[in-house]
Amino acid sequence: MSDTLHSLITSETFLSIMRAVVMVGAGLLLASLGGRLTQRLLSKRLAPQTLQLTRRAVFYGVLALFIASAMRELGFSLAVIMGAAGILTVAIGFASQTTASNLISGLFLIGERSFEIGDFIQVGETTGEVLSIDALSVKLRTLNNVFIRIPNETLIKSEVITITRYPIRRYDLMLGVAYKEDLDHVREVLMDVAEHIPACLDEPEPIMYFLGFGESELQIQFSVWSRREDFLKFRSTVATAVKRALDDAGIEIPFPHRSLYAGEATRPFPVTVVDPAETQSSD
Amino acid sequence: MSTARKTAGDQPWWQARAVPEGRTLHLTLGPLDLAIGRSRPTWLIRIGRQPEADSEARLKSRVARGLPEPYDERFVQADETDTIRLEPVLADRSIVIRPRQPIHLPGHEEITLYLSTPVYLRILAGSPPVLLREVPSLVLSDTWFGPSTQEGELCYAGRTQARHRIEELPLRPHRAITPLLIRNRADTILPLEKISLPVPMLSLYGAADASLWTQRVTLVREGNSDLAKVSVDAKAPDPGVPIEKLAGPRKDPSRFGLVRAFSVLFGS
Repeated sequence: MSDTLHSLITSETFLSIMRAVVMVGAGLLLASLGGRLTQRLLSKRLAPQTLQLTRRAVFYGVLALFIASAMRELGFSLAVIMGAAGILTVAIGFASQTTASNLISGLFLIGERSFEIGDFIQVGETTGEVLSIDALSVKLRTLNNVFIRIPNETLIKSEVITITRYPIRRYDLMLGVAYKEDLDHVREVLMDVAEHIPACLDEPEPIMYFLGFGESELQIQFSVWSRREDFLKFRSTVATAVKRALDDAGIEIPFPHRSLYAGEATRPFPVTVVDPAETQSSD
Repeated sequence: MSTARKTAGDQPWWQARAVPEGRTLHLTLGPLDLAIGRSRPTWLIRIGRQPEADSEARLKSRVARGLPEPYDERFVQADETDTIRLEPVLADRSIVIRPRQPIHLPGHEEITLYLSTPVYLRILAGSPPVLLREVPSLVLSDTWFGPSTQEGELCYAGRTQARHRIEELPLRPHRAITPLLIRNRADTILPLEKISLPVPMLSLYGAADASLWTQRVTLVREGNSDLAKVSVDAKAPDPGVPIEKLAGPRKDPSRFGLVRAFSVLFGS
C-alpha cells in the first residue's frame, strides 16, 4: 500500500499536477497583486473607467499566462487548446447569442466613450449615476438610491443621454401670461429675476422667447443657464422666483378659460341678480 | 479720504483682534456685515449683507459687549488665546469684467485700466490660527467664459467702470484694485467688452490707508484673435503709501502662457 502511494507521489504525472497547481495558485496571487499595484500607481493619473479596464487587463493577462504555463506542464499542447477554444467559442456563441451580443456591445460602449464611470445618464425612463461598465451590463444608481442593471445591448440600441457631459446646462421654463400683459414688462421682470440669482449665469445670457398665442395665454419660454452641479436646485429656485416676481408685479398667469356662447340666433342665458337680504327675509 | 478708511485704534481691519468671552467683533466692510462672538468653547458667526450700491464706502471694525443673536453658524475651538484674524484674499475663480461702457483699443495702442474686484474674508481663530470659514464680501453671479458652451471656464461676473485714471478711483474698502495694462500689438481694433482677470493667480496687498491692491497684470495681444499673453509683475504695486503683502496667489502663476482673455461671444 505504502509502496503504491510512494510510487504515486514520486511519479512524473503527480509532480506535474502539483507543479501546475502551484503555478495557478502563484498566478492568482501575482495577478491579484499586479491588479492592486496598478490601482495604487495609476489611481491619480487615470479616469475611473480606464483604471478599471487596466486593472482587469493586468489581472486576467497575468492569470492567463500562468494558466497556459500550467497547461503546458500537464502536457497539453497550446496549439491544440487554442484550436479547441476556437471551436468551443463558435459553439457557445451560437448557444448564447444574447450573452455574446452583450459582450460585444460592451466593447463598443467602452470604445465609444459616450459616458464614463461617475457620469449621470438617462436611458428611457431611467436616470442614474454610472457605477460600472462591465462585460455584460452597465450598473446605475438612481437618484432615489436604487441599483439598476441595464444590459449593454439595450444601451447600444437605444438613445442614451449623458447629462453630465458639459459643465453648464440650460433650463427652459415654460410659462404663460394673460393676453392683457405687456410682453416688454414681462421681459424686464424675468431679467431682473435672473440677475438676482447668483447661480444663474451672466453669460450665456438669460433669454425670453415668445412662442405663440395659446388658448388662454401668451406662451413664453424663459431660458437660463447654470452650472451642472447646481442644476436641480437651480431649476426650482428659478421657478419659485419667477412666480413670486410675476405675482409682485401684478402679472397674471392665467388658467385655461372657456367662454360659453349659445349661438347668434338664441337669446343670452337669463341671469337675474338677487339681493341676498330679500332672499333671507322671504325665508 | 484717509480718515474714512482708518479703523478704530489706527490699525487696519485685517490685523488680529482679541475677542474675549462674551464679546463680539463687528466688521462692516462695504456690503458685508460680519459679527463673530466668543462664547467658550464656541465662536458664533452671523453674516449679513446690504445692497452694494448703498454701502460702497462702509468700513467699521469694533469689539463690543454681547453675543450675536441670532447667529448663523457655530464653530467649536477650546483654544484660550481668543483671537480672531480676518484675512482678505482674492476670489477663487477668474472674474469676467464687463466695463459699463465698451472700450475700443486700436492697433498698436496700449491702455492701463484700474479694475476692482470684491475680496473674500478668511476667518481665522486662535493661535496657531485655524480657518473657520471663508466669506465673500460680495456674492458675485456665476458666468461662463469661453468660445462655446462646451469649452471654457466657469468664472464670476463683475461689472466695473474700468477707470483709466487712478485719481478717479472711488473709496470701496471691500474691493481690491488691479492695474491692468493692455497692449494691442495686432493691426485690428480690440473691443474690450469682456476681460477675464485671473485673480486666483494674483497676490493681495494692503496699504496703510486700508486700500487693497494686487500686482499689475499685463495682457499682450499679438495676433488678430481673442487670445493674449498674460504676465504678472513680480514686484508689489505702488499706491504711494506703505504697503504689506496679505495673501499669496491661490493658484500657481507659473502656468501662465497664452490664455483667452478677451471675448466677444454669445451674440454680443
